[in-house]
Amino acid sequence: MAAWKLLSTGMGLLQSSLPACRSPLGVVEQVRSYYVDWRMLRDVKRRQMAFEYADTRLRINAIRKNTILPKELQEIADKEIAALPRDSCPVRIRNRCVMTSRPRGVKRRWRLSRIVFRHLADHNQMSGIQRSMW
Amino acid sequence: MYRRLIHIYQVRNGLIHIQNRRLPSTKCKERESFVPVIWATGRASQRPLGTSSISFSENKESSTSLSEDNKKRPEENEASAEVNSDRQENTKINEGNEISNAMLTSQLETEPVVKPEDSKKFDKTKTGKESLLELLGAMKVEVTTIRKIRPPKIPRINERPDPQPMESAHSMFQHATAEGSQQRETLNPTLVAAASAAASTLPNSRQAESELLQQLRKHEAIPETQRRADGQNIGDIIADMKVGKRQNGRSNARPSSQIRFDDDGQGYTQDRGITGELDAVRTRKSPFTSKRLNIFTAGAEQDSLSDLGPTLWDINLAKQIVQTTNQMPRNGFEEMIQWTKEGKLWQYPINNEAGLEEEANVPFHEHVFLEKHLDESFPRQGPVRHFMELVITGLAKNHHLTVQQKQEHIAWFRDYFQQKDNVLKEAEV
Repeated sequence: MAAWKLLSTGMGLLQSSLPACRSPLGVVEQVRSYYVDWRMLRDVKRRQMAFEYADTRLRINAIRKNTILPKELQEIADKEIAALPRDSCPVRIRNRCVMTSRPRGVKRRWRLSRIVFRHLADHNQMSGIQRSMW
Repeated sequence: MYRRLIHIYQVRNGLIHIQNRRLPSTKCKERESFVPVIWATGRASQRPLGTSSISFSENKESSTSLSEDNKKRPEENEASAEVNSDRQENTKINEGNEISNAMLTSQLETEPVVKPEDSKKFDKTKTGKESLLELLGAMKVEVTTIRKIRPPKIPRINERPDPQPMESAHSMFQHATAEGSQQRETLNPTLVAAASAAASTLPNSRQAESELLQQLRKHEAIPETQRRADGQNIGDIIADMKVGKRQNGRSNARPSSQIRFDDDGQGYTQDRGITGELDAVRTRKSPFTSKRLNIFTAGAEQDSLSDLGPTLWDINLAKQIVQTTNQMPRNGFEEMIQWTKEGKLWQYPINNEAGLEEEANVPFHEHVFLEKHLDESFPRQGPVRHFMELVITGLAKNHHLTVQQKQEHIAWFRDYFQQKDNVLKEAEV
């Protein structure tokens, strides 16, 4: 049952784009596409949650990192922020490669790992990228 | 040479837009002094005809504006001559400006000479001029040389001996005075005065005046109903005309083996078969050449919807139509358009405040002066107040939040401190 739940909710975050694409028959086909792997999916979940709790975390942290308010209040604030869900903190987000979900060697500007970047650049798919020699 | 020819051809056909000023500089560098003079005089000499016939209404204003321009230009010339002494083009433009200035000043001298002659008529014709000016300003004037076809052909013979350059002015004033003559009773003497004033600016004043007045009389003689009937008469004339067959002997027919080039001379057109001839057969009897059947009355389209906008039903209908038609993007451009509509793609040129159009209308004091939110339900003194004042100064300097977001921020703190009230009191004690 737990496995069933995982299956349903896990790839329940699958990307399904509805009537954007239509076949020539006029019928709506549900387009399903998946994330590269489960780790990428978890990273996506963390990002969404971090976005949700961003304001609250900011405010509680403002109370915590303070010299004006009494320390009792700050201790309570510490406990409160620890009680928030773990995935809500932005530190847990890892900038993975968008194509391959590689956690390392990812260039931030293109969100691609170095291997994919090289592949695309060699096939002329990257705008403004040129093999450099000097 | 080959390239030059194409260049000239393209320029002539208006395919390349080159500013007239640059042409002499690129073509002939030797004849620097001559070309701008010729060009400038050419342009300036066209002015008398232009100003007299077309810019009659601008005469008053143009005289003042010309004097202003003359004052401005020598200043501009000096400034630009200092700055751009190196560049040839600008010095040529300056020369051209100076030359055109000379022409304009000579023109200005002629105008005050003309004015004392008109001063006698000035009192009479001022009202005429004013009314004519108002008329001209109010309506759109067609400057056409096309004469209206009138069923009685006798007046045409009278119109023929008109000199050629007079036609544009004629037809213009014809239209102008025609529409002005609708208020016949009040404007007649003023119209005559206006016509005489207008004629005085033209080269042959007496002839122009007599002909203008003749036109006026003719116009007023023909009743308006007959003028409307002219349109129908034309329709009848066209409808009664037999469609003549062109005896070209199927000019487009070529031996099928002959290669026909595409428009740019690069590719070949496909073999079209007999569709060209079929087209010729089809276009002989088009709906516009046959006679009117008068089945439908003309007033059927008048009751158009004068709603405030599309109703929900209209929107729903439009959506259904859009859904049923085939909508797959045929190429990358259409795909990008679709994404932009959905909101996946930003709108170009990039607007940093894309979703924040309403925020632009919010006055700045709501962003900056936030102490009024502090006064309710916050203690007046103490660390909390100090803390909140810091929060407010930070919010005031924040450019990225909307006013509502800032207020929510403060409200959150208010709730939080109200919850922790007892803790705060214990801490104070």
